[in-house]
Amino acid sequence: MSDLRRGLAVALAIARKDAVAELRGRQAAGSTLFFAALVLLLFGFALGPDAQRLADAAPGLLWLAIVFGGLLTVARLHQLETDDGAFEQLALYPVDRRAIYAGKALAGGAAMLVLGALLVPVVAILYAIPIGAAWLPLLVAVVLGAIGFAAIGTAYAGLTVRMRAREVMLPLLMLPIVAPLLLAAVKATAAALSGDPLGELGSWLQLLVAFDVIMLVVGVGTYGFLLED
Amino acid sequence: MPQTTIYVAPRLAGTLGTIPPAVATVELARLFGRSAALAGISLTVEMGRTVALLGPNGAGKTTLLRILATAIRPSYGLLSIDGIDALREPELVRGRVVYLSHATGHYDDLTAEENLRFAATMFGWGQHEGADVCREALETVGLSDVAAARAVTFSAGMRKRLALARVLIARPSLLLLDEPHAALDGEGMVLVDRLLGLWKEAGVTVMVASHQAERVAGMADATVRLEGGLLAEVTGAGVSAGPVGASQRPRVAVAGMDR
Repeated sequence: MSDLRRGLAVALAIARKDAVAELRGRQAAGSTLFFAALVLLLFGFALGPDAQRLADAAPGLLWLAIVFGGLLTVARLHQLETDDGAFEQLALYPVDRRAIYAGKALAGGAAMLVLGALLVPVVAILYAIPIGAAWLPLLVAVVLGAIGFAAIGTAYAGLTVRMRAREVMLPLLMLPIVAPLLLAAVKATAAALSGDPLGELGSWLQLLVAFDVIMLVVGVGTYGFLLED
Repeated sequence: MPQTTIYVAPRLAGTLGTIPPAVATVELARLFGRSAALAGISLTVEMGRTVALLGPNGAGKTTLLRILATAIRPSYGLLSIDGIDALREPELVRGRVVYLSHATGHYDDLTAEENLRFAATMFGWGQHEGADVCREALETVGLSDVAAARAVTFSAGMRKRLALARVLIARPSLLLLDEPHAALDGEGMVLVDRLLGLWKEAGVTVMVASHQAERVAGMADATVRLEGGLLAEVTGAGVSAGPVGASQRPRVAVAGMDR
């Protein structure tokens, strides 16, 4: 088996294992979705019933909910590895550690995509925003944002999973790093929802692609070291 | 008795065709904070030997095994496994060493079979052959009937059996077992004894840390006793030690350590 095929098989096995554990994991995935939707609802209450204000804030609130839910998601995918020493066992398998990262990031990205895809209609309903015509660019923005967030989130979750205060340390370390990604994702989403009158959607999406590449390179390059005790 | 296939990593030739030792350590030490769990171990183990690693709690047995498994790095010292520098090329060593630790490393929400199939993929088995080796391993450890049950429902003994099944589907040259009899019932202990015999027959080097001195020493070629992070006694064939005992203490004492 070539190195690439073996790496792919390992990454897919890890992602599949995480997906199965996540789906069986005592409703944790459902709780995350519920939490993110609740964030959107509370922001709606905080901003008041002004429809225009809600529409203006919707892209930012959507991504804040995705980021909050995403933090829980990437943390939980690593929390699985703390079951009975599984993380150490994972690090001792004779596999390329970039493949382990790829598998964890793939699982995180897929979970983030599902989260984003489910939160978009929640935003549309709560804030009364028509998304019919904007669904394709919106989908692209969510996909690119989810990839970048999962890419760096996986690395940071690997860094913090052995820390005692990991629940606090993960957002503390990660949120400043994802701020540029968040900005680009919000701008792209706003452009998509408004029909892109200024023709800026393409630029923001390109910036998202650039961030994704950087985050993936950083994740691939650092994750192997994080597995060392 | 179910059929049990033992898989072994191909042997490596050393320089000029010599057989390198399975394990060679020089002044291996590991500090945790200011405390030295290992205070300078020099040990050579020939390939294919079964070594009983004995000693009281806190003697450094688990730390030594974890360093040999590349789970943690030593603070000082040198280590080679099958002639490979384990500190420089740990990824090569991981293809030859399998470590059974106190923690069994299973995923609670996966079934026994799913846990094992995942491990099979990680050990490089293909889809179909992986299914076959997993089935045989589950049969050997007596978990065939509960293969579809989630690991979270397993007792400590069943978890240990599943971990043994994971060891069976690996292809080790060096096997590191930390208290393999712990948590097992009488039948399980006999199973471990049988597997130790099979691994020995197959030429796998095995290091077993245990508190069951009589049980393990009976089937071992050599016995290594640790005390306070130091070699206290080395007896038997195929194992040789560097300086033993108090002569190693000053090296760590200079660094201001507890031991």
